[in-house]
Amino acid sequence: MAEVSLEIRNLHARIAEGDTILNGVDLSVPKGEVHALMGPNGSGKSTLAKIIAGDPSYEVTAGDILVDGQSVLELEPDERARTGLYLAFQYPVEVPGVSIANFLRLALNARRDEGDEIGVMEFYQKLQKAIAILGWDESIIERNLHEGFSGGEKKRSEILQLLVLEPKVAILDETDSGLDVDALKTVSQGVNAARGPEFSSLVITHYQRLLNYIVPDVVHVMVDGRVIRSGPKELAVDLDSKGYDWIREQVGV
Amino acid sequence: MADVIDNPKTITSDAVEAIVSQHDEPQWLADARRAALQHYLATPLPSNRDERWRYTELGRFSFDGLELLEEPASRQVSERIEMRITDSDAEGVLVLNGPEVIYRDHHIREEGVIFTDLRSAVHQHEELLRAHLYSAIDVRSGKYTALNAALWKNGTFVYVPKDIEVALPLGAFTTADVGGITNRRTLIVVEANAKVTFLDETTSDPFDERLFSNAATEIVLKEGAKLRYVSLQNWGRNVAHINRLRAHLGRDSRLESLTVSLGADAARAEVESRLEGPGAESEMLGLYFADKGQHYNQYTLQHHAADHAFSDLLFKGALRDGSTAVYSGVIVVDEGAQKTDAYQTNRNLLLDTESEAVSIPQLEIGANDVRCSHGSTTSPVPEDQRFYLMSRGLKPEVAEHVLVTGFLYEVMSRVTLPKVAEYVERLVQAKLGVPGVKEKL
Ligand SMILES: Nc1ncnc2c1ncn2[C@@H]1O[C@H](COP(=O)(O)OP(=O)(O)OP(=O)(O)O)[C@@H](O)[C@H]1O
Ligand SMILES: [Mg+2]
Repeated sequence: MAEVSLEIRNLHARIAEGDTILNGVDLSVPKGEVHALMGPNGSGKSTLAKIIAGDPSYEVTAGDILVDGQSVLELEPDERARTGLYLAFQYPVEVPGVSIANFLRLALNARRDEGDEIGVMEFYQKLQKAIAILGWDESIIERNLHEGFSGGEKKRSEILQLLVLEPKVAILDETDSGLDVDALKTVSQGVNAARGPEFSSLVITHYQRLLNYIVPDVVHVMVDGRVIRSGPKELAVDLDSKGYDWIREQVGV
Repeated sequence: MADVIDNPKTITSDAVEAIVSQHDEPQWLADARRAALQHYLATPLPSNRDERWRYTELGRFSFDGLELLEEPASRQVSERIEMRITDSDAEGVLVLNGPEVIYRDHHIREEGVIFTDLRSAVHQHEELLRAHLYSAIDVRSGKYTALNAALWKNGTFVYVPKDIEVALPLGAFTTADVGGITNRRTLIVVEANAKVTFLDETTSDPFDERLFSNAATEIVLKEGAKLRYVSLQNWGRNVAHINRLRAHLGRDSRLESLTVSLGADAARAEVESRLEGPGAESEMLGLYFADKGQHYNQYTLQHHAADHAFSDLLFKGALRDGSTAVYSGVIVVDEGAQKTDAYQTNRNLLLDTESEAVSIPQLEIGANDVRCSHGSTTSPVPEDQRFYLMSRGLKPEVAEHVLVTGFLYEVMSRVTLPKVAEYVERLVQAKLGVPGVKEKL
């Protein structure tokens, strides 16, 4: 059996001191695979993604999250990131006053020892390579993090960061929404460039069209804070034409 | 008067007469000092009932039991100041240790520019001083102001003649190496259509004996004059610092001031612009970062005495480790000052729950055809931003640095002196404890 790189076990979670949102999520992504996570609005997909990344505004009440077989529940968000976890946010925030280049340098150096900071040449080569894959203009890296970015530019920035940081496990939360077809292709190219035997990904989307470009090994369907169905990529096609009620009826929720 | 008991025994008319005779000062100056002392003695210490001093932790500005600062312990220019001088690109440099000039370097190329210590200027440029000293700050306007007016021993004098543009900054770097009371005075006069940049920086090691630094800065801008003024307060600990800056702006003149507070235990910056001529512009930027129980206190005044003038103020500060900040600012628009454009914003970022900020913006508008706005916010760190940064692997302290830098960016991006901006950024980073950034000056 293939090694599992991301495993969610019976995860229950709520907003810190608030409503419960996840009601026992089970899901695993073996090493080298790309899985899709679909589900209606408000079913808990983004919440799951943020909890995996360690968002302190949520509380895990039961269950576990494992990366490469190790529980990450006790780790801070930065520690999780340094174990190789990456989340492309559905709504990336703006941080004024820090350029993308400086931010990525800080992020890369956080993964290295003090005194072993990344060299200027090595850094720019990495950046340039990623920018080229995304067909972006180089001036973008001098702009402040997402300040004044369009929705599509923010999504591209999330993929740019993914390419530079080279995570082992990436969760992409609706990186396709708000993109035109050309941008969708570019972003997919970015993700496909990262694909390989050491890379696993969970791609959250509402649209089958993305899955034509990033072909998933497995599709999971989340409803009311639970994964109610997992199946082959054709499941996404059925969902696209028949809707979520069809699957609700099938599994009897 | 009962309040006299608040005064340290050293502050007497003997002290005034000693300065007058030691410096062999002219009659007009001696008289002004004596009048200031009388006002000082007759004025009680400020109280929190006074609008200008509300919420101020007044006890932290006490100078009871301190002696007037005399000779410095050393006349050596510290390595830190030396590096700072090199880095500042200044074409005129003055280094003061307490009231003593310990270094000066003039390579000012522009003709007729005067840049010297105030004590020397009394004799070398008496007429200019007589015309301008005490003109922007009335010696009778407040306790600390009167104290400075009566007992200042030195400071800086800048004079730029008509139509002269000074290309590179002039810089006064002030330090002290013994505790006590120091009253430093600065006078800047920029004649019509002249232009200059002045850096007013204080820095030191921490003090064993407390230092009370009571500074006053008078700025006189004639018609069309332009001044960029930077006040960078980076005293070591065990210091209480007050700097009252007041500018009189003539027709079409422009002042860009930047007030940075990073050092001392307690520091108060008073930044006042009186827009006296139509078309005058005053941009007032302020930036502070308080930690470890520091108290930063700012009072600002945008006084529109003439029509068609513009003022825009932005003060931003970050606080942590049980520090406190008070901002109190007023826009005053006189009757008849029509077409005034005046803006005022204060924002505070609280990095923890132990720190506190109070913000009191005020408007007093006596004209009807004006555009004025004021606003203030005090908020904790945006947790979604912090989470985003940490989700990329940034350690908490690095994420905090990015957030503070990001918060202060709105001010920094408006600083038109890149060297100053870089330096301030480095000081902030050093104070934040960003790995690898030392306070190299
Ligand atoms: N911090 C929060 N505060 C309040 N409600 C929240 C919070 N986080 C999530 N929720 C609620 O939890 C539910 C799940 O939200 P979530 O964003 O995870 O849905 P989603 O599946 O990603 O939806 P979409 O497809 O629209 O992105 C929603 O009802 C949402 O309003
Ligand atoms: Mg979502």
